[in-house]
Amino acid sequence: MKTAYRVLAGLTCLLVLVQSAAIAFGTFGIINFVEGGNDYTKAVGEERAADAGGIGQNIHSFGAMAVALVAILLLIVSFFAKIEGGVKWAGIVFVAVLLQWVFAIVAFGAPVVGLLHGVNAFVIFGTAMTAMQKAKASTAAPVEPAAV
Amino acid sequence: MSRDRVRLLLACVATLAIVLPLGYLWQQSRMPSTYSVMDMGYLDYGGGSRTGPALHGGQSMAALHPDDATHGTHSVKDLTVGTDRAADKVVDLEARQGTVRLASGRTVDGYTLNGSSPGPLIEVTQGELLEVHLRNANVPDGITLHWHGLDVPNAEDGVAGVTQDAVQRGEKHTYRFVADQAGTYWYHSHQVSHEQVIGGLMGPLVVRPAKPLPQPVDVVALEHTYDAVATVNGTSLFSVVARPGQQVRVRVVNTDNGPTRAWANAPYRVLAVDGHEVNEPTDVTRKGVVVTAGGRVDLGVVAPEDGSGVRIQIGSSTAVVVGPEGVDVKEPATPPTKDDVDLLSYGSPAPVGFDPEQADRSFRYAIGRRPGFVKGLPGLFWTVNGHLFPNIPMYVVHEGDVVKVRISNGSGDVHPMHLHGHHAVVLSRDGVKATGSPWWFDSLNVEDGESYDVAFVADNPGIWMDHCHNLKHANQGLLAHLMYDDVTAPYRVGGESGNEPE
Repeated sequence: MKTAYRVLAGLTCLLVLVQSAAIAFGTFGIINFVEGGNDYTKAVGEERAADAGGIGQNIHSFGAMAVALVAILLLIVSFFAKIEGGVKWAGIVFVAVLLQWVFAIVAFGAPVVGLLHGVNAFVIFGTAMTAMQKAKASTAAPVEPAAV
Repeated sequence: MSRDRVRLLLACVATLAIVLPLGYLWQQSRMPSTYSVMDMGYLDYGGGSRTGPALHGGQSMAALHPDDATHGTHSVKDLTVGTDRAADKVVDLEARQGTVRLASGRTVDGYTLNGSSPGPLIEVTQGELLEVHLRNANVPDGITLHWHGLDVPNAEDGVAGVTQDAVQRGEKHTYRFVADQAGTYWYHSHQVSHEQVIGGLMGPLVVRPAKPLPQPVDVVALEHTYDAVATVNGTSLFSVVARPGQQVRVRVVNTDNGPTRAWANAPYRVLAVDGHEVNEPTDVTRKGVVVTAGGRVDLGVVAPEDGSGVRIQIGSSTAVVVGPEGVDVKEPATPPTKDDVDLLSYGSPAPVGFDPEQADRSFRYAIGRRPGFVKGLPGLFWTVNGHLFPNIPMYVVHEGDVVKVRISNGSGDVHPMHLHGHHAVVLSRDGVKATGSPWWFDSLNVEDGESYDVAFVADNPGIWMDHCHNLKHANQGLLAHLMYDDVTAPYRVGGESGNEPE
């Protein structure tokens, strides 16, 4: 369970990296499309065309689901993993991921909230990294001999 | 009990506290392999009489009552124009899946009707009975044709699983209806529509009034985006020949999933919206006009007396140039600021033919967005009155009712709301009453944060979709129905028929 916890926490960090990379890919795709003289309309955006940053945006959409799933699994595994502070840090990661969804939903109507979405990605990454380190420390700690 | 066991027990309880609610929500969102739309969601009578399908199962797809579909007295199948009248015009259409060649030479995967996309322009005169023979040559998912904006009898509405079964490969289907509403319309598939329409399985339809219009030059400008390439009538620049001084009507049809704007480098008039003539339209200068997804706007311009041309932009990538043969208006007309024609106050008032204040039913169609499960899949989805598809309202009306609907949008995105089989009139937006020409619509651009009060007369019995015409949104569950209380639908979504209307 400790290993599972560590892997899931590490996977969360990795997915945050994928998410940042994907949305940058998608955004530059849109810029490139517009600079090519094309009109980035709502219709084009909905189509998620490869020529207009669609691949990066699609990865980001699926990635959002993957992060949520991994955060839930991490929380569940934390209940069984017997890692000192494990539940707390998995809980923090979970709440940060929840907030990330809230920021995204609000930002569609109020784009300035996107700033929080961007900053919170670092919070998810940092807390997931801490969770991973907690698991590592817990795995490395010598097991106390059972009292006779 | 040892400490370890207590800890394990607590861990199991905590796990169940997470997994069980998620599992419940997932289970509730799953759709049966086949179902009747009549059993979707919960009945909303809008404060009107509770007649009709009283035994509707109601609360969720988990509690379907398939037998409920037998309680009405009229089957959708029987809501036709009848067979005793011969057709005035017959059109044969053959649908194919394959490649669409754009004017630029580029080819994209898509669909054609009679070898082209957009499909052929269907033109009829008001009052004529149109008969369309549709044949599916090779589209694996099956097809239908929906007559967008025409309030046809329900059996001819072309919605797979609601008003007919999808037309499978090698099969034929005949549509028959009287085109009694003059105006600009279009037709498109309503089977797997989120793929087939954007893939090009659509075309324009114009019903000309018996009395000739004042514009001797009358053209369609159908906007469609193929694989991120915006086109008008399949090209980027469409030329219309008109002599100096001639009046020209340009019928803009937006077949995309998002709104577009049109503007011109000369004064223009908004002659019609969604097939309805504007009462006493006035000249518009330095303003754009929004054409919502699925919507149509007829623009009127006059070819300049000096022999030059008028350029009507439809979005920044496509345009219609009007003028003598060979005339070129190279410079794009300057895009206006976000100051668009406000149809709430454009034109002059006129009677609408009924009193919305004496409404028999008042409904709420509040659009939101939240994470959850739809059709067994997790994601960020649209809600109607706080509920996710399919547990959304089934709006029930009785024939002859005057119906008011408040459509509000707090979802962070724009929604082109489209009610089948009826035209509604806008009463107010964000509490500001309509003061212009009656704003009749079948497709309404509801921006984030906006709220519209609209009204219509329930005068076309059947089961009608009432959905977002961003067809990707409809596929994500922004899709409700309007049901007459004495009508039943013999068709089903899913199952062997393969009906998948969204």
